[in-house]
Amino acid sequence: MSRSLRHLLLFIAALLWLGPLYFVVVNAGRPHGDWGDVPLWVPSSTFALFSNLNEAWQSAGLGASVASSLFYATLGGAAAVLLAAFAAFGVVVLRIRYGFAWFMFLYTGTVLPLQVFLTPLYELFRAYGLYDRRTGLVLLYTAIAIPFAVFVLRNYFGAISSELREAAEVDGASAWRIFWQIYLPLSRSALATVFIFQFTWIWNDLLFGLTLSRSTEVRPIMTALASLQGSQASTSVSVVLAGAIAVALPMVLLFLAVQRLFAQGLNLQVER
Amino acid sequence: MSRTETPTAASEPLAGPAARRAGRRPGRWWHDIWAGRRRRFAAYGFVLPAAVMVFVFLIWPFLRTFTLSFTDADGMAQPEFVGAANYSRFFSDPVLASSFGNTMIWLGASLVLPVVIGFLVAWGTFQFTGGVLYRLPFILPYALSGTAVGVVWSFMLRSDGVTNELLTALGLESLARSWLLEPPLNTFGMIVASTWQVVGINVILFLVGLQAMPREPIEAARVDGAHGWTLLRHIIIPLVRPMTIVVVGMTLVNSLKTFDIIWLMTQGGPYRSSETLAVTMFREAFLLFRHGYGAAIAVLLTIFVLIIASTYLRRQLRNA
Repeated sequence: MSRSLRHLLLFIAALLWLGPLYFVVVNAGRPHGDWGDVPLWVPSSTFALFSNLNEAWQSAGLGASVASSLFYATLGGAAAVLLAAFAAFGVVVLRIRYGFAWFMFLYTGTVLPLQVFLTPLYELFRAYGLYDRRTGLVLLYTAIAIPFAVFVLRNYFGAISSELREAAEVDGASAWRIFWQIYLPLSRSALATVFIFQFTWIWNDLLFGLTLSRSTEVRPIMTALASLQGSQASTSVSVVLAGAIAVALPMVLLFLAVQRLFAQGLNLQVER
Repeated sequence: MSRTETPTAASEPLAGPAARRAGRRPGRWWHDIWAGRRRRFAAYGFVLPAAVMVFVFLIWPFLRTFTLSFTDADGMAQPEFVGAANYSRFFSDPVLASSFGNTMIWLGASLVLPVVIGFLVAWGTFQFTGGVLYRLPFILPYALSGTAVGVVWSFMLRSDGVTNELLTALGLESLARSWLLEPPLNTFGMIVASTWQVVGINVILFLVGLQAMPREPIEAARVDGAHGWTLLRHIIIPLVRPMTIVVVGMTLVNSLKTFDIIWLMTQGGPYRSSETLAVTMFREAFLLFRHGYGAAIAVLLTIFVLIIASTYLRRQLRNA
């Protein structure tokens, strides 16, 4: 295949893939009165993106959900990474008895479809007053983020040379200190990668939010966006599109900023 | 959180003195044994917080779903044991049959579309000027959530949406359809949406696979005059095979788990015509309050996922 033909084909394919994004961006800025007057691919003469965003933020309650999801993703992601680091340390470094069995126990959750957790979780949350509560969702998001984090950190800790640890032990350092002063600082990049992965996962979750919350104050952002889409009869399409951009853009920017970290994380996931 | 952190904090005094003593007098063998024991004991303090969280919120619900699937639970009355009634109902429930059929369509299409397009883009941009730039449009949608992708493609495919307007502008009105309202068109439309999203990850993965290829066989084949299709078919594709297995496995599992896109675009409708098992489970359990039946569907879905996942997980865990 000649080079220019290859350029042409790739260019067309890339354009095709960008198409939907173009239409979303153009029409998220369309004012209410402007529908049907011009074709969808022509940008509106008045730029109403910010007023549409404002409407999604205020009247559709996306604002409250952004705050909730920020809380869930930050706290849940961080707690999961810390607990997973503890666990990986216990399995790999302190060599807990039956370490592989413990690992499998912690890891199994990543494989299963979320549907298999839903009904019992719903009943559990109802029974213990966790339903439609921020505490409940943070606990759940922490738990669901642990397995993958354990998987990555276990591989990572295993690759850290044991000489440092042995030297520290001879100097009388406790396991607690070895964890905080040797293993954690050495694996900063892996911890950051896992945190970003799990932060994104929690931010993007729809299913748990749908199942375990109801009120606008508690429900996470994707659940709010879904209900905004569901109420399209009363809201304009532009507002929904603007809302989608608002909740997706931070993740796109984060993703672009850390693409290399992301590729590393995938390597951890796939190659080892 | 405070509840689960306590045992780790408690582990410090356990490990500390023992390790210190062992370190000061390395010649004393019983101290070494003592330190080893203490360390193993401390290990429980480190592992348990995560294990408790995973047990309470994942493992226990997982096991409970199995027991629920043998009951008539409805979220209200005390569940009664009904044997395998929920499972035998699979064979008489027309909704489940169509849901199962749609799930198979999703699986089959995912085997082809995201995998083949992902490979072609990776191969086309591999060691090619401007490759990074050409890849970006494909990787970008992967950074969107399934929910956002659902919003985007609802807008593309709704009856007065972008696709129909473009077709009309091109003079192809006859091709315009109610994409999301007619089965099985709605399922295909959502598969396109999902493909648009997931190709990115496959591009990245295939690229990793291509970069890991050994140079020699490719050079040798080039010297022998192989290029283009021959090189691809006889050298490259066999060389990236290990990665292909991972990509196919992950893509299939993810297509089984697809929920967000379907929920946003059709909610499984109209008349439950575009449901897959993942959606049917949710609807039965949480909109129709058939917790027991929903649990049985979740079990069925889990079995499918585990069968497919085992193909690539075995490899993953062997190296872990």
